[in-house]
Amino acid sequence: MILRNVAIRHSRKALAAPIPKSLLRTLTTEALAEERSSIEHSIANHTKETHSIEANLNQLQLTKSFHPPRETAESKAGVQRDYALRNHIKKRTSRLGSRIPPHYEPSDILTDPPRPEDVTLELLMASQAHFGHSTSLWNPMNQRYIYGVRSGIHIISLEATAAHLRRAAKVVEGVAYHGGLILFVGTRKGQDKAVVKAAKMAQGCHLFERWIPGTITNGDQILGNCAMRVVDAKDEPLRGFEQKIGEWKALRPDLVVVLNPRENYVLLHECGLNNIPTIGVIDTDADPTWVTYPIPANDDSLRCIQVIAGVLGRAGEAGQKRRLEDAENGIVTWLPSPGLGKPKDMEEAEKEKEEGGGVVAKARIVEDESEEVQSRRRRGPVDPEDGEDDF
Amino acid sequence: MKVAWLPVSIREGLRCAYSPRPTVFNSPMRRCVLSTSSNQFSTSTRLRAGIAAPEIQFKEEGDGRDGEGKIFYARLLPESPSYFTAQPAFTDDLLALQDLVRKYSRLPVVKPSEAPRVAWRSLAEYRNMVGESVKASKYHKVVEVLRRLNLIHPSLIPHDVTKALNEYKRDVNPFQNVPKIIPVDEFGRACAIGRRKTSSAKVYVVEGNGEVLVNGKTLAEAFGRIHDRESAIWALKATDRIDKYNVFALTRGGGTTGQAEAVTLAVGKALLAHEPALKPALRRAGCITRDPRRVERKKPGHVKARKMPAWVKR
Repeated sequence: MILRNVAIRHSRKALAAPIPKSLLRTLTTEALAEERSSIEHSIANHTKETHSIEANLNQLQLTKSFHPPRETAESKAGVQRDYALRNHIKKRTSRLGSRIPPHYEPSDILTDPPRPEDVTLELLMASQAHFGHSTSLWNPMNQRYIYGVRSGIHIISLEATAAHLRRAAKVVEGVAYHGGLILFVGTRKGQDKAVVKAAKMAQGCHLFERWIPGTITNGDQILGNCAMRVVDAKDEPLRGFEQKIGEWKALRPDLVVVLNPRENYVLLHECGLNNIPTIGVIDTDADPTWVTYPIPANDDSLRCIQVIAGVLGRAGEAGQKRRLEDAENGIVTWLPSPGLGKPKDMEEAEKEKEEGGGVVAKARIVEDESEEVQSRRRRGPVDPEDGEDDF
Repeated sequence: MKVAWLPVSIREGLRCAYSPRPTVFNSPMRRCVLSTSSNQFSTSTRLRAGIAAPEIQFKEEGDGRDGEGKIFYARLLPESPSYFTAQPAFTDDLLALQDLVRKYSRLPVVKPSEAPRVAWRSLAEYRNMVGESVKASKYHKVVEVLRRLNLIHPSLIPHDVTKALNEYKRDVNPFQNVPKIIPVDEFGRACAIGRRKTSSAKVYVVEGNGEVLVNGKTLAEAFGRIHDRESAIWALKATDRIDKYNVFALTRGGGTTGQAEAVTLAVGKALLAHEPALKPALRRAGCITRDPRRVERKKPGHVKARKMPAWVKR
């Protein structure tokens, strides 16, 4: 678009007047690099002129087109060298100086979480597990976990906390040992690292954002696109199940660990409907009957949550380790997923063998038999929780 | 195996502790279960009832010659630990990137203005990549982490970071597309091309005394309207340089207005080659901006692009 009146309106003609070449030269980086000394000299000589140039330039808004000299390759190498030097010095001097006694390092709970054996009342006290909520927010259901009242808040009995935490750790270990799927949930801000770490140790699943309502009760719709795999007793992946996996229903956790049960009522309700046991951190304002295994503790302290998640994660780790050790010795602690069967090629080979078994009549008899068996099976075990899809 | 403390509810929750399906219960299995778990599940009447189903054993013995009825251990697990987030690929990506940031948090960084400019994949592209309907706010988290990784000093950036960043870079980097610099050749000519509507103009600008030739004709012959003549050399006029340059223009396509304003753009660009300092003045005069407007297409149901047929009562 052409703005015809601009020049007249703003009387820019004066601005557009040709600028002396010496002024232009000060703007170009080349000139700066090459003739720096001469320019500096001239600037020193004509300070007054420079001021007028600057005023002129500011008026022209020419500074926009001026780029400061970029970092050269030399400075890049310098950064590299400095970094290497820093590492070198650090390596050489790290053993020098005073010896630092054991001290609290906030990240240690995440990098090296405590084991169930390490749970002590001191640890729980140090991680603020005993602070409850204001007495006015009290849920009387958890009266038996409360030690007393101090400055308006309830104090949770750490003995109860430790006992319940150890029990929960055993539950997690048992589920991991029996090849169950453990889900760790902590949807509050800052809990994500603890949750992910615990899930990684226990080889379970993690959830640190909102629980999508219906992930268990309507799992086929919500988790339909999520990939699954089939493993054997030693956790080696198995092939030949692709078709079955495609038709398989969504998985359900076998144990759910909730670090903030108050915000996850929907999840706990779904678990209750589907008979999935739950472990939850119950503060003094929460209802302990929402979860199967309550752990009375302060759920508002990240440090306390990290300790609890770490302990449970370690327990899961121990269970998985024990399961794999047993698998090495030929003991399998779980039963195959009902209806999963064998890989495709093995099943086909068996079928061929069956068909090519010689006498047709015999095969027919076998077929009849199998049909009979199947029909009997259909009528057979009457169980309210029965079903191919239920596991 | 001291697992007797496992209460009823968890036993039921463990999907594999018992199975109402008789197929898996054959003789070695039964041995296994009895030997290992008779203590564990003291009240497991269901388990025993399930095992004791006679039909199954008949069946297995009948056709179990090949595999000796050996139980095949296979169980289903989620592919990713983020299975229950319903967006496992996205969550895994985010966690992997956050891990990288944590791992390399001590490497020296450059200022945000000095970091290499990168166009990250758009939300739609990313959704296609992972096959999940990721929310914009969630993808923004990924982009923020990527920006942080991109700040690591280019001379020290680790290989795995480069690899991770490359996955999220757009296939075509728009920031590599820099405009060509118009040179002034040995004859003192600056050649530039300008376009407007459907016209295009190729213009040579040399220092001279104000002669203008458009397709071999003078300005007055080429453009009948005074307005067009004025706009053709508007770049020179706005900067007060009509008598300092000669213009030789070749125009094609479109009408007179389009050709005249195509010449404006071309002259403006060529003038910049001679005098780069004129850029703000020419920008304000509107001589170096391509006008993208074209004839709007006619739509069905309309008389023209937007005109609707007159309303008739019936």
